[in-house]
Amino acid sequence: MALFQIFDPSARPTPIGIDLGTTHSLVAYTVDGRPECVLDCDMSPLLPSVVHYLEHGGVMVGNAGREKAALHPRETLVSVKRFMGRGADDAETRRMGPYDFAMPEPGQSNTVRFKVHGRTLTPVEVSAEILRVLRTNAEEKLRTIGGAVITVPAYFDEAQRQATKDAAKLAGLEVLRLLNEPTAAALAYGLDKGRTRGTFAVYDLGGGTFDVTILSLDDGVFQVRSTGGDAQLGGDDMDRAFAEWVFRHMGVDPATASPELVRAALDAARLAKHELTDRPNTVIAVTAGETTFERSVRRTEFEDIVRPVIERTTPAVKRALRDAGLRPEEVDGVILVGGSTRVPAVREHVKKLFGQEPLSDIDPDQVVAFGAAIQANLLAGDGAQEDALILDVIPLSLGIETMGGVAEKILPRNTTIPAGRAQQFTTYADGQTGFELHVVQGERELAADNRSLAKFTLKGIPPMPAGAAKLEVTFRVDADGMLTVTARELNTGIEQRIEVTPSFGLSGDDVERMLLESYEHAESDLAARQLRERIIEGERVIAATEAALKVDGDLLDEDERAELDGALKALRDAIAGQDGKKIHHRTEGLDRATHPLAERRMDRAVQQAMKGRAVAEIEDTVKDRPEHPHLAASYAADEASDKET
Amino acid sequence: MTDPFELLGVERRFSLDRAALEQRHRDLSRTLHPDRYVQSPAGERRMALERAVAVNEAFRALRDPLSRAEALLSAHGLAVGDADRPSQSLLMEVMELRESLDEARRSPDKVAALLAQVRARSGSEEALLASVFDDQPAPGPDALGRARDALVRLKYFRRFEEEADAALDS
Repeated sequence: MALFQIFDPSARPTPIGIDLGTTHSLVAYTVDGRPECVLDCDMSPLLPSVVHYLEHGGVMVGNAGREKAALHPRETLVSVKRFMGRGADDAETRRMGPYDFAMPEPGQSNTVRFKVHGRTLTPVEVSAEILRVLRTNAEEKLRTIGGAVITVPAYFDEAQRQATKDAAKLAGLEVLRLLNEPTAAALAYGLDKGRTRGTFAVYDLGGGTFDVTILSLDDGVFQVRSTGGDAQLGGDDMDRAFAEWVFRHMGVDPATASPELVRAALDAARLAKHELTDRPNTVIAVTAGETTFERSVRRTEFEDIVRPVIERTTPAVKRALRDAGLRPEEVDGVILVGGSTRVPAVREHVKKLFGQEPLSDIDPDQVVAFGAAIQANLLAGDGAQEDALILDVIPLSLGIETMGGVAEKILPRNTTIPAGRAQQFTTYADGQTGFELHVVQGERELAADNRSLAKFTLKGIPPMPAGAAKLEVTFRVDADGMLTVTARELNTGIEQRIEVTPSFGLSGDDVERMLLESYEHAESDLAARQLRERIIEGERVIAATEAALKVDGDLLDEDERAELDGALKALRDAIAGQDGKKIHHRTEGLDRATHPLAERRMDRAVQQAMKGRAVAEIEDTVKDRPEHPHLAASYAADEASDKET
Repeated sequence: MTDPFELLGVERRFSLDRAALEQRHRDLSRTLHPDRYVQSPAGERRMALERAVAVNEAFRALRDPLSRAEALLSAHGLAVGDADRPSQSLLMEVMELRESLDEARRSPDKVAALLAQVRARSGSEEALLASVFDDQPAPGPDALGRARDALVRLKYFRRFEEEADAALDS
């Protein structure tokens, strides 16, 4: 007998979690708090992150796309994640691979562009194709999907994070949060095993990225202690090293090999790598056109070839432990994430680094998507009231270039987010009327050695003697790890605020244009789509306000209550009238009217949080428990309040 | 910035229980973290974000004994900026330590021994800070001056510890 699934049209949309991986991508959701992956049409949860572009428009994504890679290597984009947020002149674009690149035209941002069938494509657009398929798969399963939590490598920088958000926007997804992949894995492990406390290390070696994260779990709060990694290191590098070995034995120079042969060698390397996971030897076979090559290879040979790649993970692990103030044996469990951790030599290496057998009882390919789904449910689903919480950190220091090209760190790496800090700078020349600000990301002493995020100028300052102007620069990083910089001259009050759009990312206009160009967002749809979004937003604010009034209505006096009720009614009327502009306007009005209530509610909640535990508990002096000096955050010895810029 | 002690509701002292401080930070984060306000109106979201940032910043300041000492000094009206020049003897001591570190770089045991030596020095500066801020109800100008000098030394030692730590890794 057929089972009919009955959909309740008023049911809450299901929030989803997406692992947008280098090799595979997955989408998951939760049922009664437990994560499950959505299966692709071939009944596998893994959608290969491969996009093949057809000559006359249209794409083939996943396995269907991958089948095209051998014959159409230039038109089939594999591992596009490695190019996210990268500049056209980045070293990554020059590495061994079968693609054609287009240099940016004048006026275009300096992002990587692939040349495919005479079109140019950014990694953001390619990733959006993968996300669209995941969205469609999820919609088929769940009917209505809510917002999405999308995972990114913890070591992704600002540009890479922004590119990921842009791709989601292009695919028509509402991003609830960007979540770091190792943190997602820890969330899945922690909640799965019902563990309540402990210190964990997550070793995440994926197709193209490596992350290591140390975090502690206490009463449901996952606090990241430190994170490190390499955003350009993964299983792909093993394949490359292996393919280079093949080329050496073939007597072929990889630089002059045809794209077909390069693709065939990389695919053969990947296949042989997988086989050597369970077997002591295999045969590696490459066929491209007339060229064929076959050779048997032992696991020990393979391990010698990839050992340098695996060794590259060591310094990041050591530094993460040092940043967390921990010795390897103080870690309670090591979690393995990413398909590359299936390679026995990687497991051996991890075991050696931490002096313990790593955990891998959750499928390392699915664990990140599981964590993303759990987080999505905590943020917007049934789990929204639960106590679990993630306190994550910024992976790389954020700072500003000062005199002499030195990078002055304003927010050091491993600062808990959301974070904000202000620092004062002053002029170095008499009569200087502008400040040039150069925002950089990274750990190196000199600004030029770090990643340049943005440059902007604060102008219009009246001429003053050197050192008289006081410039306050405020860095603010939100819970997605995204940075906003504000600069203000304190004597005059002249202010400038920028959302840091990385120098080689896409501008907001680029993204809007792509949205308009993409077939599913033709201009005619846009108005309907906007109205729908405004109604949803209006209803969300109404629901939140009513819920707040129910619990804490006593915090308002009669007049305030009447004003709020008026604003509620006005918005309801506007929604009934289907007038987009009015709805937007009155949603903002209701939002403003709720401020006093919101403020008092927050005060009340804070008081309760502080009362929750006896104050004496906090004030206890513990002289016999001295702090480990290196447990504390790093601090520059010569920090001064005034720096020259 | 708001007084971090007041914001986190802990007594203004140098010695404090790290575990309890972390507990307080977790409790407040549970209340204020942006994750708790994803469904809220925009204004409330911004308000919570501001407070969560302030709580994280206060926690950062109090968790580290160095910035905690700074917060205490500024609570007593003493700004710690570039006005605090290190004494000649401190500069000499740190220079000698640096030279020893350069010589010891190839031998992890020697670096570790140097590190232990400087950590012990930091420990006694922290003890001095505790005696100024915790043992008397209202420290006078002399005591505050001693605390400030101890803080300057602590900063230089910290920088050295970081360098030695990094040398151990490479």
